[in-house]
Amino acid sequence: MNLTQHLAQFLNSGGHRIGQIEIRSNPANQEWMLCHVDDADKLTDPEMTALEIHRDPFAARDLSTFAADGSYRFTKGQTNLISGWIMILSTVAEIRQALDLFYPAAVGLWVAHAQGSIAVENLRDKLNRQTGMYRSARFISDAGAQELVTKICGPAHQCAKRILWQIDEDTPLNDSEASRFNGIPGKVAENAAIPLLCREACNHFVSECKKVSSAERKAASNTEA
Amino acid sequence: MPLAPKPNSALLIVGHGSTENPDSSSPYFDHAAEIRSRHLFAEVHCCFWKEEPSMREVIYQIDADEVYIVPDFISEGYFTQEVIPREFQLSGPTTEIAGKTYHYCLPVGVHPSMTGLIMKRAKEIAPDVDPADTTLIITGHGTGLNQNSTKAIRDQVALIAASDAGYAKVSDAFMEEPPLVAEWDQLSPTSNVVVVPFFIADGLHSYQDIPVLLGMESEVGAAASQREVFRHNPHHLRGKTLYYSSAIGTEKLLADVILDLIEDFDQSHKPLVS
Repeated sequence: MNLTQHLAQFLNSGGHRIGQIEIRSNPANQEWMLCHVDDADKLTDPEMTALEIHRDPFAARDLSTFAADGSYRFTKGQTNLISGWIMILSTVAEIRQALDLFYPAAVGLWVAHAQGSIAVENLRDKLNRQTGMYRSARFISDAGAQELVTKICGPAHQCAKRILWQIDEDTPLNDSEASRFNGIPGKVAENAAIPLLCREACNHFVSECKKVSSAERKAASNTEA
Repeated sequence: MPLAPKPNSALLIVGHGSTENPDSSSPYFDHAAEIRSRHLFAEVHCCFWKEEPSMREVIYQIDADEVYIVPDFISEGYFTQEVIPREFQLSGPTTEIAGKTYHYCLPVGVHPSMTGLIMKRAKEIAPDVDPADTTLIITGHGTGLNQNSTKAIRDQVALIAASDAGYAKVSDAFMEEPPLVAEWDQLSPTSNVVVVPFFIADGLHSYQDIPVLLGMESEVGAAASQREVFRHNPHHLRGKTLYYSSAIGTEKLLADVILDLIEDFDQSHKPLVS
């Protein structure tokens, strides 16, 4: 079964949510409707006319580039997707194309996770393979990395992904709202949503590790002096 | 020869991307859309170093068992020789991992057609100037991890200078090493100057930093997508007439370069390609 078929199976069995996107079918005209979850109650006439209508799945890139405050959404798991639009699509293949832009690789990661074939990379493996300007990120302490998770990950910090990685093979993340989060923002049953999965720390996290690592070294040298 | 359709293969375009400037990834999506419209591949995807999907994650987004990876980079170097092979865990031109076959092509910037694209771009932005009274400057970053892009620019300068384009002078210029793009007027003995940035995207460098170095703007401006229109040529500065183009990678014909690179790969590695 390919990824589109997995997605079709999910939708046909009642699944309707991924991240902040609600997916509804319209049996009357055999179309699919995608919208921001906050607009889900507008998917009926005449309120739907208030939404900006898109029929091209690739419009998902522009819709997901900026948040309402104009900030650039360089990580797509952020819970600041703009609302006010509806995407009307004809096929599940088109839904997949749109979702690959709204939430890159999320459908594939969800399928791989369900099949047990996802390769999770722990933080130390991720940091140790950094070269160039991020090489020094590897020197962050375990305590510093644990604290960073609570400071920048999870829905409290606008990230809707479920963290699958640990610090290393023997060091799980400390219990926190971020480490417990299931990758499904909003109130929806787990079997009705595709969770957003974080299989390795993102570039933002690595960049922050570099800063903490630098601060830790400065603090250590100050103590020695 | 146009590339024969590959209905069972995926094309994966690899770009740098940015956590600060959304325009950095636009050319890659544009090239992907152009190639997708030709229905040559089962799937066409993009992935990035700085944006999502990452190289490690995009493989989960691909159904096809055969994947052509094309670095949409301006030169060979740190990213094409170190970062991309490492992230995809490639061991050579063709690598099999977990049931998928990955073919790793050369970066777009080394393709011979880039010389023609630079000349085409220069002509487009300054169609009425006499090349005999015009200096063409090809500009890039310079220094550090970008040494190969410095060489790539110098190679292009030599090729265009030796061509029949007829420019009074063709020069390289860099942001951070001599000859400095900030001294573009001193590099140019002519009254007309055409500057073409040898970058893939109109990102931080070509759209925000270099215009300040050229003297077109007093401070770094907003990203290209957040401005009303592209800059208006020409600019009358320092006693000269300056024409500044968008990055060479925004050229639509780069989609053809990507397809050529795949054709070249197949020709060079036929026994390995199914």
